[in-house]
Amino acid sequence: MTGGHGDPGLLDHMVEASLGWLDGARGSFRLPPDVTTDADPNLTLKPLGELAELSQLIGAVHPREEIRRTARGLFAFAWNETRDGELFAELIRGEPFATYPVELYGVFARAGLRHAEADELVRTTTRLRGWRVAREDHTRTLGVLNAERRIGLRQHADFASVLALTGLGRLPEPWALDRKAAYGITHDVFHLTDWGRDRQRLSPELAGYLRLWLPSWLENWLEEQLWDLVGELLAVTACLPKAPYDPVAWQRLAGAQAADGSVPEMGAAPGSGDPDEMFTACYHSTLVTAFAATLARIAADEAEAGPRGGDPVLVGGRTPGESESAP
Amino acid sequence: MIADAATGVALALRGEGDPYALSGMLRHEDALTPAAVRVLGADALAPYAVEHRAAPAGVDDEAVVRQALMAYPPGDGASEVSLWSYRGLVEAAHAFLPGDGRPWPPAPEAGTAWVGDSPWPKLSHRVSQLAALALPGLASGLAEQLAARTDDLSRGFVRAVRRRDWLQAAGVGRWLARLPDVPGTLGLDSGLAFVHQMGGADPRVALHVAAARRFYGRGG
Repeated sequence: MTGGHGDPGLLDHMVEASLGWLDGARGSFRLPPDVTTDADPNLTLKPLGELAELSQLIGAVHPREEIRRTARGLFAFAWNETRDGELFAELIRGEPFATYPVELYGVFARAGLRHAEADELVRTTTRLRGWRVAREDHTRTLGVLNAERRIGLRQHADFASVLALTGLGRLPEPWALDRKAAYGITHDVFHLTDWGRDRQRLSPELAGYLRLWLPSWLENWLEEQLWDLVGELLAVTACLPKAPYDPVAWQRLAGAQAADGSVPEMGAAPGSGDPDEMFTACYHSTLVTAFAATLARIAADEAEAGPRGGDPVLVGGRTPGESESAP
Repeated sequence: MIADAATGVALALRGEGDPYALSGMLRHEDALTPAAVRVLGADALAPYAVEHRAAPAGVDDEAVVRQALMAYPPGDGASEVSLWSYRGLVEAAHAFLPGDGRPWPPAPEAGTAWVGDSPWPKLSHRVSQLAALALPGLASGLAEQLAARTDDLSRGFVRAVRRRDWLQAAGVGRWLARLPDVPGTLGLDSGLAFVHQMGGADPRVALHVAAARRFYGRGG
Protein backbone atom coordinates (compact mmCIF):
# COMPACT_ATOMS: atom_id res chain seq x y z
CA MET A 1 0.00 0.00 0.00
CA THR A 2 1.47 3.33 -0.91
CA GLY A 3 0.93 6.72 0.62
CA GLY A 4 -0.20 9.62 -1.47
CA HIS A 5 -3.20 11.84 -1.43
CA GLY A 6 -5.66 9.85 -3.43
CA ASP A 7 -7.30 10.71 -6.69
CA PRO A 8 -10.30 12.95 -5.96
CA GLY A 9 -11.40 12.94 -9.60
CA LEU A 10 -11.61 9.17 -9.73
CA LEU A 11 -13.16 8.88 -6.28
CA ASP A 12 -15.85 11.47 -6.97
CA HIS A 13 -16.68 9.88 -10.28
CA MET A 14 -17.15 6.54 -8.55
CA VAL A 15 -19.47 8.05 -5.94
CA GLU A 16 -21.49 9.92 -8.56
CA ALA A 17 -21.85 6.87 -10.79
CA SER A 18 -22.83 4.65 -7.84
CA LEU A 19 -25.41 7.09 -6.55
CA GLY A 20 -26.78 7.50 -10.07
CA TRP A 21 -27.40 3.77 -10.33
CA LEU A 22 -28.85 3.59 -6.82
CA ASP A 23 -31.14 6.51 -7.57
CA GLY A 24 -32.37 4.69 -10.64
CA ALA A 25 -32.95 1.55 -8.56
CA ARG A 26 -35.39 3.19 -6.12
CA GLY A 27 -38.13 0.91 -7.38
CA SER A 28 -36.17 -2.13 -6.21
CA PHE A 29 -35.54 -0.60 -2.76
CA ARG A 30 -39.26 0.07 -2.30
CA LEU A 31 -40.77 -1.99 0.50
CA PRO A 32 -43.56 -4.40 -0.49
CA PRO A 33 -46.93 -4.30 1.34
CA ASP A 34 -46.10 -7.54 3.19
CA VAL A 35 -42.80 -6.24 4.52
CA THR A 36 -43.74 -6.78 8.16
CA THR A 37 -45.23 -10.22 7.60
CA ASP A 38 -44.15 -12.58 4.84
CA ALA A 39 -41.47 -10.79 2.84
CA ASP A 40 -37.84 -11.91 3.14
CA PRO A 41 -36.14 -9.17 5.19
CA ASN A 42 -32.85 -9.86 3.41
CA LEU A 43 -34.45 -8.67 0.19
CA THR A 44 -36.43 -5.78 1.64
CA LEU A 45 -35.39 -4.29 4.97
CA LYS A 46 -31.71 -5.06 4.68
CA PRO A 47 -31.18 -3.26 1.36
CA LEU A 48 -33.25 -0.27 2.49
CA GLY A 49 -31.41 -0.08 5.81
CA GLU A 50 -28.04 -0.12 4.07
CA LEU A 51 -29.21 2.52 1.62
CA ALA A 52 -30.28 4.70 4.54
CA GLU A 53 -27.08 4.14 6.54
CA LEU A 54 -24.73 5.01 3.73
CA SER A 55 -26.72 7.69 1.93
CA GLN A 56 -27.11 9.54 5.23
CA LEU A 57 -23.37 9.52 5.72
CA ILE A 58 -22.58 10.60 2.17
CA GLY A 59 -25.28 13.27 2.28
CA ALA A 60 -23.71 14.70 5.43
CA VAL A 61 -20.00 14.54 4.74
CA HIS A 62 -19.19 14.50 1.04
CA PRO A 63 -17.40 17.69 0.02
CA ARG A 64 -19.34 18.04 -3.27
CA GLU A 65 -22.74 19.69 -3.00
CA GLU A 66 -24.40 17.85 -5.91
CA ILE A 67 -23.31 14.51 -4.50
CA ARG A 68 -24.64 15.41 -1.07
CA ARG A 69 -27.93 16.45 -2.66
CA THR A 70 -28.41 13.12 -4.46
CA ALA A 71 -27.49 11.21 -1.31
CA ARG A 72 -29.87 13.24 0.83
CA GLY A 73 -32.61 12.53 -1.71
CA LEU A 74 -32.00 8.81 -1.29
CA PHE A 75 -32.04 9.09 2.50
CA ALA A 76 -35.33 10.99 2.40
CA PHE A 77 -36.71 8.32 0.08
CA ALA A 78 -35.72 5.62 2.58
CA TRP A 79 -37.40 7.44 5.47
CA ASN A 80 -40.47 7.86 3.34
CA GLU A 81 -40.50 4.10 2.71
CA THR A 82 -40.63 3.55 6.47
CA ARG A 83 -43.74 5.75 6.48
CA ASP A 84 -41.96 8.29 8.66
CA GLY A 85 -40.99 5.58 11.12
CA GLU A 86 -44.38 3.93 11.46
CA LEU A 87 -42.74 0.79 10.04
CA PHE A 88 -40.52 0.48 13.13
CA ALA A 89 -43.45 0.53 15.51
CA GLU A 90 -45.03 -2.24 13.45
CA LEU A 91 -41.85 -4.28 13.28
CA ILE A 92 -41.26 -4.02 17.01
CA ARG A 93 -44.86 -4.98 17.80
CA GLY A 94 -44.42 -8.02 15.53
CA GLU A 95 -41.04 -9.06 16.95
CA PRO A 96 -40.52 -7.16 20.21
CA PHE A 97 -37.30 -8.96 21.14
CA ALA A 98 -35.59 -8.85 17.76
CA THR A 99 -32.66 -6.50 17.38
CA TYR A 100 -32.98 -5.65 13.71
CA PRO A 101 -35.83 -3.13 14.04
CA VAL A 102 -33.79 -1.28 16.66
CA GLU A 103 -30.68 -1.36 14.51
CA LEU A 104 -32.62 -0.01 11.53
CA TYR A 105 -34.39 2.64 13.55
CA GLY A 106 -31.04 3.80 14.89
CA VAL A 107 -29.95 4.77 11.39
CA PHE A 108 -32.75 7.32 11.18
CA ALA A 109 -32.74 8.32 14.84
CA ARG A 110 -29.10 9.27 14.45
CA ALA A 111 -30.17 11.83 11.86
CA GLY A 112 -32.89 13.16 14.15
CA LEU A 113 -35.77 11.35 12.44
CA ARG A 114 -37.90 9.93 15.23
CA HIS A 115 -41.19 8.17 15.65
CA ALA A 116 -42.79 8.67 19.03
CA GLU A 117 -44.39 5.25 19.32
CA ALA A 118 -41.24 3.46 18.17
CA ASP A 119 -39.30 5.44 20.78
CA GLU A 120 -41.65 4.31 23.54
CA LEU A 121 -41.54 0.71 22.40
CA VAL A 122 -37.74 0.50 22.30
CA ARG A 123 -37.46 2.14 25.69
CA THR A 124 -39.55 -0.70 27.07
CA THR A 125 -38.02 -3.64 25.21
CA THR A 126 -34.41 -2.64 25.63
CA ARG A 127 -34.82 -2.24 29.39
CA LEU A 128 -35.54 -5.95 29.81
CA ARG A 129 -33.02 -8.28 31.38
CA GLY A 130 -33.62 -10.48 28.36
CA TRP A 131 -32.24 -7.75 26.11
CA ARG A 132 -28.94 -7.96 27.93
CA VAL A 133 -28.46 -11.68 27.36
CA ALA A 134 -25.28 -12.06 25.34
CA ARG A 135 -25.78 -12.67 21.65
CA GLU A 136 -23.84 -15.18 19.63
CA ASP A 137 -22.34 -12.71 17.23
CA HIS A 138 -20.22 -10.08 18.94
CA THR A 139 -19.92 -7.98 15.79
CA ARG A 140 -23.68 -7.80 15.57
CA THR A 141 -23.80 -6.85 19.24
CA LEU A 142 -21.58 -3.87 18.43
CA GLY A 143 -24.19 -2.87 15.86
CA VAL A 144 -26.92 -3.11 18.47
CA LEU A 145 -24.85 -1.07 20.94
CA ASN A 146 -24.26 1.57 18.31
CA ALA A 147 -27.99 1.70 17.55
CA GLU A 148 -28.73 2.14 21.25
CA ARG A 149 -26.27 5.01 21.38
CA ARG A 150 -27.84 6.60 18.33
CA ILE A 151 -31.34 6.34 19.74
CA GLY A 152 -30.17 7.63 23.10
CA LEU A 153 -30.88 4.42 25.02
CA ARG A 154 -28.74 3.02 27.77
CA GLN A 155 -26.22 0.69 26.17
CA HIS A 156 -26.96 -2.85 27.32
CA ALA A 157 -23.28 -3.86 27.53
CA ASP A 158 -19.88 -2.22 27.61
CA PHE A 159 -18.80 -1.47 24.05
CA ALA A 160 -15.08 -1.94 24.70
CA SER A 161 -15.63 -5.29 26.42
CA VAL A 162 -17.65 -6.62 23.49
CA LEU A 163 -15.16 -5.23 20.98
CA ALA A 164 -12.41 -7.15 22.74
CA LEU A 165 -14.24 -10.39 21.87
CA THR A 166 -14.60 -9.69 18.16
CA GLY A 167 -12.46 -10.61 15.19
CA LEU A 168 -10.89 -7.18 15.37
CA GLY A 169 -10.49 -7.02 19.13
CA ARG A 170 -8.80 -10.42 19.30
CA LEU A 171 -6.19 -9.35 16.73
CA PRO A 172 -6.30 -12.77 15.06
CA GLU A 173 -3.43 -14.13 13.01
CA PRO A 174 -3.95 -12.24 9.75
CA TRP A 175 -3.52 -15.37 7.65
CA ALA A 176 -6.23 -17.19 9.60
CA LEU A 177 -9.02 -15.13 8.15
CA ASP A 178 -11.79 -16.47 5.99
CA ARG A 179 -14.33 -14.44 4.13
CA LYS A 180 -16.84 -14.34 6.95
CA ALA A 181 -14.20 -13.23 9.43
CA ALA A 182 -13.08 -10.50 7.04
CA TYR A 183 -16.62 -9.12 6.81
CA GLY A 184 -16.72 -9.33 10.60
CA ILE A 185 -13.61 -7.19 10.96
CA THR A 186 -14.85 -4.54 8.53
CA HIS A 187 -18.09 -4.26 10.46
CA ASP A 188 -16.29 -4.14 13.80
CA VAL A 189 -14.56 -1.04 12.44
CA PHE A 190 -17.77 0.44 11.06
CA HIS A 191 -19.65 0.03 14.32
CA LEU A 192 -16.71 1.27 16.38
CA THR A 193 -16.20 4.38 14.26
CA ASP A 194 -19.91 4.96 13.59
CA TRP A 195 -19.29 4.21 9.91
CA GLY A 196 -16.21 6.36 9.62
CA ARG A 197 -17.62 9.42 11.36
CA ASP A 198 -15.68 8.94 14.55
CA ARG A 199 -12.42 7.51 13.39
CA GLN A 200 -10.44 8.52 16.45
CA ARG A 201 -12.23 5.75 18.33
CA LEU A 202 -9.89 3.34 16.55
CA SER A 203 -7.13 2.79 19.11
CA PRO A 204 -3.49 3.01 17.99
CA GLU A 205 -3.16 -0.73 18.56
CA LEU A 206 -6.12 -1.60 16.34
CA ALA A 207 -5.10 0.97 13.72
CA GLY A 208 -1.58 -0.46 13.67
CA TYR A 209 -2.91 -3.98 13.22
CA LEU A 210 -5.16 -2.92 10.35
CA ARG A 211 -2.45 -0.83 8.69
CA LEU A 212 -0.16 -3.85 8.65
CA TRP A 213 -2.58 -6.42 7.31
CA LEU A 214 -5.15 -4.63 5.17
CA PRO A 215 -2.84 -4.69 2.12
CA SER A 216 -2.64 -8.49 2.17
CA TRP A 217 -6.38 -8.89 2.58
CA LEU A 218 -7.05 -6.40 -0.20
CA GLU A 219 -4.71 -8.25 -2.50
CA ASN A 220 -6.41 -11.54 -1.71
CA TRP A 221 -9.92 -10.36 -2.33
CA LEU A 222 -8.98 -8.32 -5.37
CA GLU A 223 -7.72 -11.57 -6.83
CA GLU A 224 -11.05 -13.19 -5.99
CA GLN A 225 -12.86 -10.16 -7.43
CA LEU A 226 -15.11 -10.01 -4.39
CA TRP A 227 -15.88 -6.37 -4.96
CA ASP A 228 -18.09 -5.64 -1.98
CA LEU A 229 -15.42 -6.90 0.39
CA VAL A 230 -12.77 -4.99 -1.54
CA GLY A 231 -14.89 -1.85 -1.09
CA GLU A 232 -15.33 -2.52 2.62
CA LEU A 233 -11.59 -3.06 3.08
CA LEU A 234 -10.90 0.20 1.23
CA ALA A 235 -13.41 1.94 3.50
CA VAL A 236 -11.61 0.55 6.55
CA THR A 237 -8.31 1.70 5.09
CA ALA A 238 -9.75 5.20 4.78
CA CYS A 239 -10.61 5.12 8.50
CA LEU A 240 -6.93 4.85 9.51
CA PRO A 241 -5.04 7.89 10.75
CA LYS A 242 -3.09 9.36 7.82
CA ALA A 243 -4.98 6.90 5.67
CA PRO A 244 -2.84 5.25 3.03
CA TYR A 245 -4.17 5.35 -0.54
CA ASP A 246 -3.71 2.28 -2.72
CA PRO A 247 -4.03 3.55 -6.31
CA VAL A 248 -3.93 0.09 -7.83
CA ALA A 249 -6.77 -1.25 -5.68
CA TRP A 250 -8.89 1.81 -6.44
CA GLN A 251 -8.23 1.49 -10.17
CA ARG A 252 -9.29 -2.13 -10.06
CA LEU A 253 -12.49 -1.40 -8.17
CA ALA A 254 -13.18 1.42 -10.64
CA GLY A 255 -12.62 -1.08 -13.43
CA ALA A 256 -15.30 -3.34 -11.95
CA GLN A 257 -17.85 -0.53 -12.01
CA ALA A 258 -20.06 -0.75 -15.09
CA ALA A 259 -20.89 2.24 -17.28
CA ASP A 260 -24.28 2.48 -15.55
CA GLY A 261 -22.55 2.86 -12.18
CA SER A 262 -23.35 -0.58 -10.80
CA VAL A 263 -20.67 -2.67 -9.13
CA PRO A 264 -21.25 -6.43 -9.05
CA GLU A 265 -20.81 -8.28 -5.79
CA MET A 266 -18.41 -10.74 -7.37
CA GLY A 267 -16.68 -11.08 -10.73
CA ALA A 268 -18.79 -9.65 -13.53
CA ALA A 269 -22.44 -8.62 -13.33
CA PRO A 270 -25.04 -11.24 -14.35
CA GLY A 271 -25.68 -11.08 -18.05
CA SER A 272 -29.33 -12.06 -17.97
CA GLY A 273 -30.60 -8.49 -17.86
CA ASP A 274 -33.21 -9.48 -15.28
CA PRO A 275 -33.64 -6.34 -13.14
CA ASP A 276 -34.31 -8.21 -9.88
CA GLU A 277 -31.27 -10.36 -10.37
CA MET A 278 -29.20 -7.30 -11.27
CA PHE A 279 -30.38 -5.48 -8.18
CA THR A 280 -29.63 -8.34 -5.81
CA ALA A 281 -26.21 -8.87 -7.38
CA CYS A 282 -25.19 -5.22 -7.35
CA TYR A 283 -26.93 -3.07 -4.77
CA HIS A 284 -24.64 -3.84 -1.85
CA SER A 285 -21.31 -3.45 -3.63
CA THR A 286 -22.54 -0.31 -5.36
CA LEU A 287 -23.47 1.23 -2.01
CA VAL A 288 -20.18 0.15 -0.48
CA THR A 289 -18.27 1.67 -3.40
CA ALA A 290 -19.95 5.05 -2.88
CA PHE A 291 -19.29 4.81 0.87
CA ALA A 292 -15.63 3.81 0.55
CA ALA A 293 -14.92 6.44 -2.10
CA THR A 294 -16.51 9.09 0.12
CA LEU A 295 -14.33 8.16 3.11
CA ALA A 296 -11.23 7.96 0.91
CA ARG A 297 -12.06 11.39 -0.53
CA ILE A 298 -12.27 12.90 2.93
CA ALA A 299 -9.02 11.20 3.93
CA ALA A 300 -7.39 12.62 0.78
CA ASP A 301 -8.65 16.12 1.62
CA GLU A 302 -7.22 15.80 5.11
CA ALA A 303 -3.87 14.65 3.77
CA GLU A 304 -3.91 17.71 1.51
CA ALA A 305 -4.79 20.05 4.36
CA GLY A 306 -2.25 18.52 6.71
CA PRO A 307 -2.85 17.05 10.12
CA ARG A 308 -5.49 18.54 12.32
CA GLY A 309 -7.15 17.66 15.54
CA GLY A 310 -10.62 16.24 15.73
CA ASP A 311 -12.96 15.70 12.87
CA PRO A 312 -15.76 18.24 13.14
CA VAL A 313 -17.17 17.70 9.65
CA LEU A 314 -17.65 14.01 10.34
CA VAL A 315 -19.29 14.29 13.69
CA GLY A 316 -22.35 15.74 12.05
CA GLY A 317 -24.14 17.50 14.85
CA ARG A 318 -23.30 15.04 17.53
CA THR A 319 -20.43 15.49 19.91
CA PRO A 320 -18.12 12.47 20.12
CA GLY A 321 -18.88 10.47 23.21
CA GLU A 322 -22.30 12.00 23.62
CA SER A 323 -25.15 9.63 24.35
CA GLU A 324 -22.85 6.78 25.33
CA SER A 325 -25.51 6.09 27.90
CA ALA A 326 -28.94 7.41 28.62
CA PRO A 327 -29.24 10.19 31.16
CA MET B 1 15.09 -37.31 -6.93
CA ILE B 2 14.90 -33.70 -5.75
CA ALA B 3 11.95 -34.58 -3.54
CA ASP B 4 13.89 -37.44 -1.97
CA ALA B 5 16.90 -35.22 -1.45
CA ALA B 6 14.74 -32.50 0.13
CA THR B 7 13.22 -35.12 2.42
CA GLY B 8 16.71 -36.27 3.37
CA VAL B 9 17.77 -32.71 4.23
CA ALA B 10 14.60 -32.08 6.23
CA LEU B 11 15.10 -35.32 8.19
CA ALA B 12 18.68 -34.37 8.94
CA LEU B 13 17.62 -30.91 10.14
CA ARG B 14 15.09 -32.50 12.46
CA GLY B 15 17.82 -34.79 13.77
CA GLU B 16 16.10 -37.89 12.44
CA GLY B 17 17.36 -40.69 10.22
CA ASP B 18 20.95 -41.67 9.53
CA PRO B 19 23.75 -39.11 9.77
CA TYR B 20 23.50 -36.89 6.71
CA ALA B 21 25.92 -37.25 3.86
CA LEU B 22 25.16 -35.35 0.67
CA SER B 23 27.26 -37.69 -1.42
CA GLY B 24 25.45 -40.65 0.08
CA MET B 25 22.10 -39.28 -0.98
CA LEU B 26 23.07 -37.79 -4.32
CA ARG B 27 25.82 -39.92 -5.81
CA HIS B 28 28.60 -38.34 -7.79
CA GLU B 29 28.22 -40.79 -10.64
CA ASP B 30 24.49 -40.21 -11.09
CA ALA B 31 23.85 -38.04 -14.16
CA LEU B 32 21.04 -36.13 -12.47
CA THR B 33 23.01 -35.24 -9.35
CA PRO B 34 24.42 -31.90 -10.57
CA ALA B 35 20.94 -30.66 -11.48
CA ALA B 36 19.51 -31.80 -8.14
CA VAL B 37 22.27 -30.05 -6.20
CA ARG B 38 21.82 -26.88 -8.24
CA VAL B 39 18.08 -26.89 -7.52
CA LEU B 40 18.55 -27.48 -3.79
CA GLY B 41 21.25 -24.82 -3.77
CA ALA B 42 22.67 -24.03 -0.36
CA ASP B 43 20.16 -26.41 1.20
CA ALA B 44 22.17 -29.33 -0.12
CA LEU B 45 24.66 -28.38 2.58
CA ALA B 46 22.20 -27.14 5.20
CA PRO B 47 22.69 -30.12 7.54
CA TYR B 48 26.41 -29.26 7.72
CA ALA B 49 25.46 -25.87 9.16
CA VAL B 50 24.07 -27.59 12.24
CA GLU B 51 26.48 -27.22 15.14
CA HIS B 52 28.01 -30.27 16.83
CA ARG B 53 27.32 -32.60 13.99
CA ALA B 54 28.30 -36.22 14.48
CA ALA B 55 29.64 -36.68 10.96
CA PRO B 56 31.48 -33.83 9.24
CA ALA B 57 31.36 -33.23 5.52
CA GLY B 58 33.85 -35.13 3.47
CA VAL B 59 35.72 -34.96 0.21
CA ASP B 60 32.99 -36.81 -1.65
CA ASP B 61 30.53 -34.07 -0.73
CA GLU B 62 32.94 -31.49 -2.10
CA ALA B 63 33.18 -33.34 -5.35
CA VAL B 64 29.40 -33.40 -5.72
CA VAL B 65 29.10 -29.67 -5.06
CA ARG B 66 32.02 -28.78 -7.30
CA GLN B 67 30.49 -30.84 -10.10
CA ALA B 68 27.16 -28.99 -9.79
CA LEU B 69 28.82 -25.57 -9.72
CA MET B 70 30.82 -26.42 -12.83
CA ALA B 71 27.83 -27.86 -14.68
CA TYR B 72 25.40 -24.99 -14.07
CA PRO B 73 27.16 -21.64 -13.93
CA PRO B 74 24.73 -18.76 -14.33
CA GLY B 75 24.78 -17.66 -17.96
CA ASP B 76 24.57 -14.21 -19.43
CA GLY B 77 21.30 -12.60 -18.55
CA ALA B 78 20.67 -14.99 -15.68
CA SER B 79 17.87 -13.83 -13.38
CA GLU B 80 18.63 -12.35 -9.99
CA VAL B 81 17.08 -15.43 -8.42
CA SER B 82 19.38 -17.67 -10.40
CA LEU B 83 22.44 -15.56 -9.54
CA TRP B 84 21.58 -15.50 -5.88
CA SER B 85 20.90 -19.20 -5.60
CA TYR B 86 24.20 -20.02 -7.32
CA ARG B 87 25.93 -17.57 -5.06
CA GLY B 88 24.25 -19.21 -2.10
CA LEU B 89 25.68 -22.58 -3.02
CA VAL B 90 29.18 -21.11 -3.42
CA GLU B 91 28.89 -19.33 -0.06
CA ALA B 92 27.62 -22.52 1.57
CA ALA B 93 30.54 -24.48 0.12
CA HIS B 94 32.96 -21.96 1.63
CA ALA B 95 31.18 -21.94 4.95
CA PHE B 96 30.27 -25.56 5.54
CA LEU B 97 32.77 -27.70 3.62
CA PRO B 98 36.29 -28.20 4.93
CA GLY B 99 37.98 -27.37 1.60
CA ASP B 100 40.64 -29.42 -0.12
CA GLY B 101 42.80 -26.46 -1.03
CA ARG B 102 41.41 -26.05 -4.51
CA PRO B 103 39.55 -22.77 -5.14
CA TRP B 104 35.80 -22.75 -5.52
CA PRO B 105 34.27 -21.06 -8.54
CA PRO B 106 33.86 -17.35 -7.86
CA ALA B 107 30.58 -16.19 -6.36
CA PRO B 108 28.83 -14.08 -9.01
CA GLU B 109 27.83 -10.55 -8.17
CA ALA B 110 24.14 -10.50 -7.35
CA GLY B 111 22.26 -7.25 -6.99
CA THR B 112 19.82 -6.18 -4.29
CA ALA B 113 18.09 -3.29 -6.06
CA TRP B 114 15.03 -5.50 -6.57
CA VAL B 115 14.64 -5.80 -2.82
CA GLY B 116 13.87 -2.11 -2.60
CA ASP B 117 12.01 -1.84 -5.90
CA SER B 118 9.64 -4.80 -6.03
CA PRO B 119 6.03 -4.47 -4.95
CA TRP B 120 5.53 -6.69 -1.92
CA PRO B 121 3.71 -9.59 -3.64
CA LYS B 122 6.53 -9.93 -6.18
CA LEU B 123 9.18 -9.45 -3.52
CA SER B 124 7.67 -12.24 -1.44
CA HIS B 125 7.56 -14.58 -4.39
CA ARG B 126 11.24 -13.99 -5.19
CA VAL B 127 12.30 -14.28 -1.59
CA SER B 128 10.50 -17.60 -1.28
CA GLN B 129 12.48 -18.82 -4.28
CA LEU B 130 15.62 -17.92 -2.35
CA ALA B 131 14.56 -19.69 0.82
CA ALA B 132 17.72 -21.82 0.80
CA LEU B 133 19.75 -18.69 1.52
CA ALA B 134 18.08 -18.35 4.90
CA LEU B 135 20.93 -20.19 6.58
CA PRO B 136 23.30 -18.93 9.27
CA GLY B 137 26.04 -16.72 7.87
CA LEU B 138 24.86 -16.82 4.27
CA ALA B 139 23.88 -13.83 2.13
CA SER B 140 24.23 -11.43 5.03
CA GLY B 141 23.98 -8.40 2.73
CA LEU B 142 20.71 -9.67 1.36
CA ALA B 143 19.43 -10.32 4.87
CA GLU B 144 20.20 -6.72 5.83
CA GLN B 145 18.27 -5.41 2.85
CA LEU B 146 15.34 -7.70 3.50
CA ALA B 147 15.15 -6.62 7.12
CA ALA B 148 13.98 -3.22 5.88
CA ARG B 149 11.01 -4.95 4.26
CA THR B 150 10.00 -7.24 7.07
CA ASP B 151 6.45 -5.90 7.16
CA ASP B 152 6.06 -6.43 3.43
CA LEU B 153 7.39 -9.96 3.62
CA SER B 154 4.97 -10.61 6.47
CA ARG B 155 2.17 -9.44 4.18
CA GLY B 156 3.48 -11.84 1.57
CA PHE B 157 3.30 -14.68 4.07
CA VAL B 158 -0.34 -13.79 4.80
CA ARG B 159 -1.19 -13.66 1.13
CA ALA B 160 0.55 -16.97 0.42
CA VAL B 161 -1.21 -18.81 3.25
CA ARG B 162 -4.58 -17.44 2.20
CA ARG B 163 -3.88 -18.60 -1.36
CA ARG B 164 -2.88 -21.99 0.05
CA ASP B 165 0.46 -21.56 -1.68
CA TRP B 166 2.25 -23.55 1.01
CA LEU B 167 5.61 -23.59 -0.75
CA GLN B 168 5.74 -19.81 -1.03
CA ALA B 169 4.46 -19.43 2.53
CA ALA B 170 7.11 -21.80 3.87
CA GLY B 171 9.87 -20.05 1.93
CA VAL B 172 8.90 -16.56 3.03
CA GLY B 173 8.22 -17.82 6.54
CA ARG B 174 11.71 -19.30 6.70
CA TRP B 175 13.22 -15.93 5.78
CA LEU B 176 11.03 -14.18 8.31
CA ALA B 177 12.33 -16.60 10.91
CA ARG B 178 15.80 -15.20 10.23
CA LEU B 179 14.77 -11.53 10.33
CA PRO B 180 14.47 -9.48 13.51
CA ASP B 181 11.34 -7.47 14.28
CA VAL B 182 8.71 -9.63 12.63
CA PRO B 183 5.33 -8.16 13.69
CA GLY B 184 4.01 -10.02 16.69
CA THR B 185 0.47 -10.10 15.35
CA LEU B 186 1.62 -12.16 12.36
CA GLY B 187 1.86 -15.25 14.57
CA LEU B 188 4.88 -16.60 12.70
CA ASP B 189 5.39 -19.64 14.94
CA SER B 190 1.85 -20.89 14.65
CA GLY B 191 1.87 -19.86 10.99
CA LEU B 192 4.85 -22.09 10.21
CA ALA B 193 3.27 -24.93 12.16
CA PHE B 194 0.04 -24.44 10.23
CA VAL B 195 1.85 -24.37 6.88
CA HIS B 196 3.63 -27.58 7.85
CA GLN B 197 0.36 -29.27 8.76
CA MET B 198 -1.37 -28.16 5.59
CA GLY B 199 1.43 -28.39 3.05
CA GLY B 200 4.09 -30.60 4.62
CA ALA B 201 3.43 -33.39 2.16
CA ASP B 202 5.62 -31.36 -0.21
CA PRO B 203 9.18 -32.18 0.92
CA ARG B 204 10.35 -28.66 0.09
CA VAL B 205 7.74 -27.22 2.46
CA ALA B 206 8.86 -29.64 5.15
CA LEU B 207 12.48 -28.64 4.53
CA HIS B 208 11.82 -24.90 4.90
CA VAL B 209 9.83 -25.37 8.08
CA ALA B 210 12.53 -27.66 9.50
CA ALA B 211 15.22 -25.08 8.66
CA ALA B 212 13.26 -22.25 10.29
CA ARG B 213 13.01 -24.32 13.43
CA ARG B 214 16.52 -25.72 13.51
CA PHE B 215 18.42 -22.52 12.78
CA TYR B 216 16.16 -19.81 14.11
CA GLY B 217 13.98 -21.55 16.66
CA ARG B 218 10.76 -20.48 14.98
CA GLY B 219 7.75 -22.57 14.16
CA GLY B 220 7.21 -24.29 17.46
